[in-house]
Amino acid sequence: MVPTDLREQLAKLNRVDKLEIIQLLAAQIANEEITLLNGASYPIWSPYDAVEAANIMLEALKAETYPKS
Amino acid sequence: MNNSARFSYLSTDTNLGEASFKPFLPLVLNYNGKSIEGVGILDTGAMVNVLPYQIGIELGAIWEEQTIMLQLTGNLAQLEARVLILSAIVKQFPSVRLVFAWTKATQVPLLLGQANFFMEFDVCFYRSQKAFEVTPKKSE
Repeated sequence: MVPTDLREQLAKLNRVDKLEIIQLLAAQIANEEITLLNGASYPIWSPYDAVEAANIMLEALKAETYPKS
Repeated sequence: MNNSARFSYLSTDTNLGEASFKPFLPLVLNYNGKSIEGVGILDTGAMVNVLPYQIGIELGAIWEEQTIMLQLTGNLAQLEARVLILSAIVKQFPSVRLVFAWTKATQVPLLLGQANFFMEFDVCFYRSQKAFEVTPKKSE
């Protein structure tokens, strides 16, 4: 949460300074996102070791009534 | 392998280099008479087949009607998954029944895993040649 005194100080800034603050923060956020990408944190979707789910699925397959072609 | 079909590894982004090539398998999925062509990735480390939410919807499956719920692992653990059984045709081979963990996830690829894709097909990987061969299991 942004402290009240900081909000008050920001509110007192003139238009040019406010725009500069916006640009500064936007650049910081963009850099943080790039750092995250460079940090190689990627989703791995593969359901490794989902043995319980696999067993439930195989039981469902065994139980289905389907006309075999 | 006799009676096998050979496929090439494909890259979704060749700028990423040699490591970007993956064993994508084209197949036709069928549910209640509706068919769509799809591409699954052969994932030997996946315990189950995984169907992205959107593909199930395109096949006409209704989420609420699938009553067997699943708990997946990894990133997929955060999202609901339900059992959905489809018919699948690979190349010239006879249709097989594949059981999927139909996940609410939309960004996940179609995964072909141990249960039960690799129980229906034998697969031989030739990664150095960027190729793999798929053969239907032998009849019991």
